[in-house]
Amino acid sequence: MIEIKNVTKVFKDITAVDNLSLVIRPGVVTGFLGPNGAGKSTTMKMILRLTRPTRGEIRIGGKKYKDLKNPVSKIGALIDGDTVNPKFTARQHLELIATASGLPAKRVEEVLKKSGLEKAKNKQIGEFSLGMKQRLGIAAALMGDPETVILDEPFNGLDVDGIHWLRNLAKELAEKGKAVLVSSHLMSEIQAIAERIIVLAQGRLIADMTIEEMSGRSLSAYVKVRSENNKQLKSLLEKSGALIKFVSDKELHVHKLDMKQIGITAKENNLAIYELTKVEPSLEELFIELTEGKADYASA
Amino acid sequence: MRRLIESEFKKIFFLKSSKVYIFVLIVLSLALGLAFSLTTNVTQGKTITELSSMDVLSANMLGTDLANIMLIIFTAVSVSKEFSTRLINVSLAIIPDRRKFFIGKLITFFLLSAAISIVVVLLSYLASRMILTANNMPEVSLQDFTVRRFVLGVMVMPVFYTIITAAAVFLFNGSAGAITFSLGIMILPALVKMFSNTVQRILLPIFPQSAIHSLSGAVKKDSVESLGVIASICLLLIWIAVTSIAANIKFQKQDI
Repeated sequence: MIEIKNVTKVFKDITAVDNLSLVIRPGVVTGFLGPNGAGKSTTMKMILRLTRPTRGEIRIGGKKYKDLKNPVSKIGALIDGDTVNPKFTARQHLELIATASGLPAKRVEEVLKKSGLEKAKNKQIGEFSLGMKQRLGIAAALMGDPETVILDEPFNGLDVDGIHWLRNLAKELAEKGKAVLVSSHLMSEIQAIAERIIVLAQGRLIADMTIEEMSGRSLSAYVKVRSENNKQLKSLLEKSGALIKFVSDKELHVHKLDMKQIGITAKENNLAIYELTKVEPSLEELFIELTEGKADYASA
Repeated sequence: MRRLIESEFKKIFFLKSSKVYIFVLIVLSLALGLAFSLTTNVTQGKTITELSSMDVLSANMLGTDLANIMLIIFTAVSVSKEFSTRLINVSLAIIPDRRKFFIGKLITFFLLSAAISIVVVLLSYLASRMILTANNMPEVSLQDFTVRRFVLGVMVMPVFYTIITAAAVFLFNGSAGAITFSLGIMILPALVKMFSNTVQRILLPIFPQSAIHSLSGAVKKDSVESLGVIASICLLLIWIAVTSIAANIKFQKQDI
């Protein structure tokens, strides 16, 4: 378990991470979202102590990262697929990690097989595509069979097969009880694998909850209702505290009231309901809702 | 630490270019030494038989200067590659104790330079003996204290500058600064010699060259560069310690 306590990182005059506190829990895939410059990569680098927090502390299983006896068994991370010497082969790159960590040589072969790089193991990394480099970076992260896997933008450059592989891998790791933290700009991918979402914006924690909790609190979630008299139902539902954002002869979009309450209200007033559909926002819509006006870099 | 050093050696020797470079370094150093000792009639205006056996050995050992410069460049490029390729991200994720990582790098390059220096110096020594034998000149022997001191002193030079260069890469954030720093402290004494005796007396003894020349017995006792053995060793260790401590402090604070 990784505990981040009141962590702040200031680069000259820019506060990249602002008093951030959160816990990365085991057995769950956690999506780490935020607009560009939100502080996601900085936070991940601070976990690995590649970047030092200006204030606050980060503990891994109660210890500082630098005090861990065998760090590769605690955290495996892909921060950037390009952090390799392009002159090395994939096997050599992993062998360096195995040697420095005291892992057996057979682990290199196992991880190469798991990442689908077995056939390319003797190829220079400089000849790799971005997707292959990502696979190698993920393979390196898995070398020590770590308790926590941190993946920064792992879907970048992956082909369809790679994306499918990574989805299954993330779920498989979580099922084994490992904590998996994945950042990505591809909301659909995070939605497909993550149970929990952490959203940062301008270095601050905006949300830390399950996708269900997030949908429940979202203004984008609503119930689509069709009844025999939409106008009458609208006024009845509003009296029960609903927010009706869209009204037409055909349907109502009802916010802040669940389907059961809508059904009971209609029944008590002898109104026939033709349709009750819960419309949940996509993660992308939730993300936009949460980070609106909080992006450092936005298109005009 | 042993695993770290083993991994650092793999980083060097996995690359074919490193193996070729080291081989070329040894061959060129030996060839340069031979060229100096076989062209004394041009460079010194004396035939080889007019020189003393020690002069022939000294001429052969000049190849070590080339080995030294080539090792400085090799060390700077190799260590800085860790940063330029951003492999440092992976390295520090495995070895988060930066001081340990830094010391591991220095030890690796110390061992590498010591091995190369021993090979180059011994080959140059053997080449000298062959030249002396071929010209019916008195032999030099490692049993002779003067010869032994000279050979050991020459061996120290590449090792010292390699360690300084490795540390300087961390201090100056790259190979250019490190090479400039190492070559700078190597070349500056020659510039100092252009100044008055007073300036020379103050500045020359603090440069590592004085210590290396004193250790090898290459300076006369009345020279301003002359230092005792212990003072020479201390001076070299101070240079290494100061550069390493400054580099380590910088590295500890650095965001990768």
